[in-house]
Amino acid sequence: MTETFVIVGAGLAGGGAAATLREEGFDGRVVLIGAESQPPYERPPLSKEYLRGEFPFEQTLVQPPDFYGENDIETRFSARVTRVDAAGKAIELDNAESVSYEALLLATGARNRRFPIPGLDLKGIYDLRTVADSDQIRAESSPGQRAVVVGMGFIGSEVAASLRQSGVEVAVVDRNTVPLRRVLGEEVGRVVEGFHRDHGTELIFEDKVAAFEGTERVERVIAQRGRVIECDFAVVGLGVEPVTELLASTGVEIGNGVLVDEYCRTSVEGIFAAGDVANHYHPVFERHIRVEHWQNALKQGPAAALNMLGENEPYSEIPWFWSDQYEHNIQYAGFHTEWDELVVRGTMEERNFIAFYRKDGRVLAAVAINRGRDLRRSIPLIKAQEEISASELSDPEVDLRTLAGMQEIHR
Amino acid sequence: MAEFAAVSGVDDLREGEMRAFDVHGTEIAVANVGGEFLAFDDTCTHMGCSLAEGDLEESTVICPCHGSEFDVRSGEVLQGPAREPVETYETRVEGNNLEVEG
Repeated sequence: MTETFVIVGAGLAGGGAAATLREEGFDGRVVLIGAESQPPYERPPLSKEYLRGEFPFEQTLVQPPDFYGENDIETRFSARVTRVDAAGKAIELDNAESVSYEALLLATGARNRRFPIPGLDLKGIYDLRTVADSDQIRAESSPGQRAVVVGMGFIGSEVAASLRQSGVEVAVVDRNTVPLRRVLGEEVGRVVEGFHRDHGTELIFEDKVAAFEGTERVERVIAQRGRVIECDFAVVGLGVEPVTELLASTGVEIGNGVLVDEYCRTSVEGIFAAGDVANHYHPVFERHIRVEHWQNALKQGPAAALNMLGENEPYSEIPWFWSDQYEHNIQYAGFHTEWDELVVRGTMEERNFIAFYRKDGRVLAAVAINRGRDLRRSIPLIKAQEEISASELSDPEVDLRTLAGMQEIHR
Repeated sequence: MAEFAAVSGVDDLREGEMRAFDVHGTEIAVANVGGEFLAFDDTCTHMGCSLAEGDLEESTVICPCHGSEFDVRSGEVLQGPAREPVETYETRVEGNNLEVEG
């Protein structure tokens, strides 16, 4: 009997998983289902190069459009799965089609959080997740237009930068004291704030949007502390939430996403998850983490595919991402939620540094600004989880590649 | 017949190191891989960063900005986000000098 593997979610993780199944010689049915009309594409350019009109959509595609047909991957785009029957091992689509599976991969990603802000349904207010969203924002982004960006996480920060680069007047509203504070902390966030100030972005911190106002379209944003910001359009970037509803009544354990082990397996046999939706057990950090970045989708989709084939390949990639804002390149590797010391190599003033988030003597994560080589060289020492002295970390004469593996580790 | 241009300053390029040189107006990176000099476009095909500012691991060059990886012998992409290969160039040793096609 022919086996059928179903992949729900045709983004980078789902698309990569489908390709891996074929590369590994799986000769059963592969059914790839996506809610968007496009074949799998990469999202990082949507807030940067693509938004600024610097490169075409085709350049974001994970595979050429013909790839799926040529590899006998059945695609259902613009389609939604309405039900997962875990006991009967079948899914149902919104066109009433039913597909039985031997293995199911959930790669449904995340969706933007929507908050009940008055006026949010006015025209001219966008959020950014899909190429269609990016197209709408881009259509508004002519020089001299005025935009308000709500939220200075990575998406908000990148959109603000891209809009400025497109000649749009930009004001941002964020509840924190600096951009990216939640992830990077006050000191590093202050450096990023400087990029935006240099480029003439108006920054309104420690404030929130009380309401969007306008007759049909948004005309102004009212901040809680009283500021009134006239605008032509607005972009809201207040974080995402994993899309898990499909598994709600399947018995699959859910908790900040779909809980999976290091083999991308959920608590229900035959069901796997990967990408933004997966809260996976990470063997290095010895806890579950959910990662909403490109590299995780790129690597975890194929890892899940291998495990669907029974390969028992643990997924232990150190999370890594970049964010380009104006002429600056920011990169982060590792995983940290708290730290007791920030050790800096290079200088924040010159915007050329790497900062290590250190706890109990070990480097949990690092962020580099315009210093990508050092960031890359830090990944092995994050993976090693060894105690490393602050003086060696901060001394630019010490080659970071020599610091990992100095201690015998027994795991 | 390819034209070759002399590149000065390669002498102190140790094994595992690379550096960018201006060859007739094009930034070309030269890498010392196991004593062999390999030349390729210094400009990453993804977003234009200097590959010589990145890392060289055996015959793989890693872009410092977004982690794209290229085989410096063939120029092919080993790991995205880059899609397009980098150009590679012939090298030859003439007397005490390294010459690069271009």
